[in-house]
Amino acid sequence: MEKILLFISTIRWQDVVDISVNSYILFRFYVLFRGTNVFQVLVGMTVLWFLQRIAVSLGLIVTSWVVQGIVAVGAIIIIVVFRNEIRRVLQAKNLKSILWGLSYKTTTTPTEIIADTVFQMAARRCGALIVFPGKEDLSGLVQGGTPWKGLITKEMIASIFWPENPVHDGAAIVQGDQITFVGTILPLSERDDLPSRYGTRHRAALGLAEASDAMVIVVSEERGDVLIAKGNRLREIKQKQTLENNIREHVGTGAVEKRAARKEGLEITAAAMLSILFITGIWFSVSRGQDTLVSLDIPIDYINRAAGTEIVDTSVKSVSLVLSGSGALVKSITPDQVGVRLDLSKTTVGRNTFTLTSDNVSLPPGIVLREVTPSEIDVLIDETIKKKLPVQIDWVGKLSDNLILVDSVINPAQVEVSGSKRILEDIVTIYTEKVLLDELSGEGEISANLVLSPASLKIASGSKDKVTIQYLIRERE
Amino acid sequence: MRCRYLLIWIVCVGVNLLFLLPFQTAKTVIGAEPSKLELFEALMCEDIFANAPRNPTAVFSIKRKKAVFFTSFSTVPQKLIIYHNWYHRDVPSAKIRLTLKPPRWSTYSSIELNKSDIGPWRVEITDESGNVLEVLRFSVTE
Repeated sequence: MEKILLFISTIRWQDVVDISVNSYILFRFYVLFRGTNVFQVLVGMTVLWFLQRIAVSLGLIVTSWVVQGIVAVGAIIIIVVFRNEIRRVLQAKNLKSILWGLSYKTTTTPTEIIADTVFQMAARRCGALIVFPGKEDLSGLVQGGTPWKGLITKEMIASIFWPENPVHDGAAIVQGDQITFVGTILPLSERDDLPSRYGTRHRAALGLAEASDAMVIVVSEERGDVLIAKGNRLREIKQKQTLENNIREHVGTGAVEKRAARKEGLEITAAAMLSILFITGIWFSVSRGQDTLVSLDIPIDYINRAAGTEIVDTSVKSVSLVLSGSGALVKSITPDQVGVRLDLSKTTVGRNTFTLTSDNVSLPPGIVLREVTPSEIDVLIDETIKKKLPVQIDWVGKLSDNLILVDSVINPAQVEVSGSKRILEDIVTIYTEKVLLDELSGEGEISANLVLSPASLKIASGSKDKVTIQYLIRERE
Repeated sequence: MRCRYLLIWIVCVGVNLLFLLPFQTAKTVIGAEPSKLELFEALMCEDIFANAPRNPTAVFSIKRKKAVFFTSFSTVPQKLIIYHNWYHRDVPSAKIRLTLKPPRWSTYSSIELNKSDIGPWRVEITDESGNVLEVLRFSVTE
């Protein structure tokens, strides 16, 4: 219990946001792409990715390369092959529905369309046999049939039972909003008390109704009657609305809608939960996985130095940090993500000693500081002063043997330099950059930058960091 | 002072050089009274010829072998000691003790140049108390 509490206390609000955001992104992917081929391929890719991770952890080098290659190529293939499907999903939905909305699938039977079509066929004397299965399985009762899986429309029903259609003599089986099979052969009723006007189609409807809890609609080709066979009864339906009510009552549309909605709700809830579990699992494996140690040399960043002072010397320029975390996080650390800062706001002129703690070290999330070496840092702080110094030209190269530099005047002859008192006390001259003699002749003027060494020295405001040199070169006597 | 003394070809010829110089205005005046030491001229040159500086310059090639610091005093109230202090990149390289005698005196010191001397130099004249009378800057090049 204590361990659990300790663990919970280490979870930051950023971790919760991290998991929530990614879970929601995954969940939205599911909502947008469910039922499409893209979703199935994405699931396949995820499985492959897991296989690759397993292969890596088991040390199966070639297998992991191959799977990694497939995943990499697969990602491109998904975009290329399913570009139309992806575009359709994204174009069909507005931003709100992409980010927030839930689209429920409707699988209820379109009773009005069926009833309407049935009566139209009856008026045209077009025979038809439509089966609405109940709860019982019909596979042992019906024979043959062609899988159809077409959404119910008026045109589709009419075309199935069109006399020229090879499957028009069989029965069409309706499940939900689809016609699943056509041309199905139904068992014939063996009753001998049926009126003589009933033909084979009527016997087939009654045969199935007697043997199961299915409801069968019959459209008589000869008389143009519409009948319903259910149980042992075969009754004629005169009104379209009556037929519609019968179908609705049999398939229980209202209940089905509720059931379907409940099922959809459960499915989406399960998907949401799975998304959270999946992302939490990934988060744990990445951030709280096996402990890996890494040692990094990080330069120290000195901050909040008091005005009028400067750092003259430090006992070390960088410190060695031993960091730990999950293998994946540790491998992804780059030195620029790690910082060591030392606050100099409370220092005094002279030697200051600091002890480095984890407060001085900034680390990426999920990484823990184990050790700092050295943990004590000496920083020598000195007062900043200004000093006027003469400038001297640093001539290099050579003049022709017959030439001589008679005179050179530097302007300004002095510059004011600011820097550490300790350093400036020992400096008596500021030199120019190297000025090449080789190409000089006669008289002229050139400019040269000043070289400040050590680099901590600065030209004081008001002084120039460049000088002009007037020279006069003559022929040697 | 470093072993620079061994490398420098020191010519302390103050005693031997007493010129009658065509003095005009003193360049540097130490003290307001005429009885004080007055520096008339200080320059860097390639050589001394006929007791006079030859080829004044601020750049010396090591091919020329030596650099000469020539100083001339228009007023020397009494026998005095001065120093020519040579610095290579602000590091003391040589300190040459020279004697001045009244009433006027010219003297010089020089250094022998070799490859390790390449870079910026300065040379100071100081009196016995260490007061700097003049500073000259020059470079030694290839």
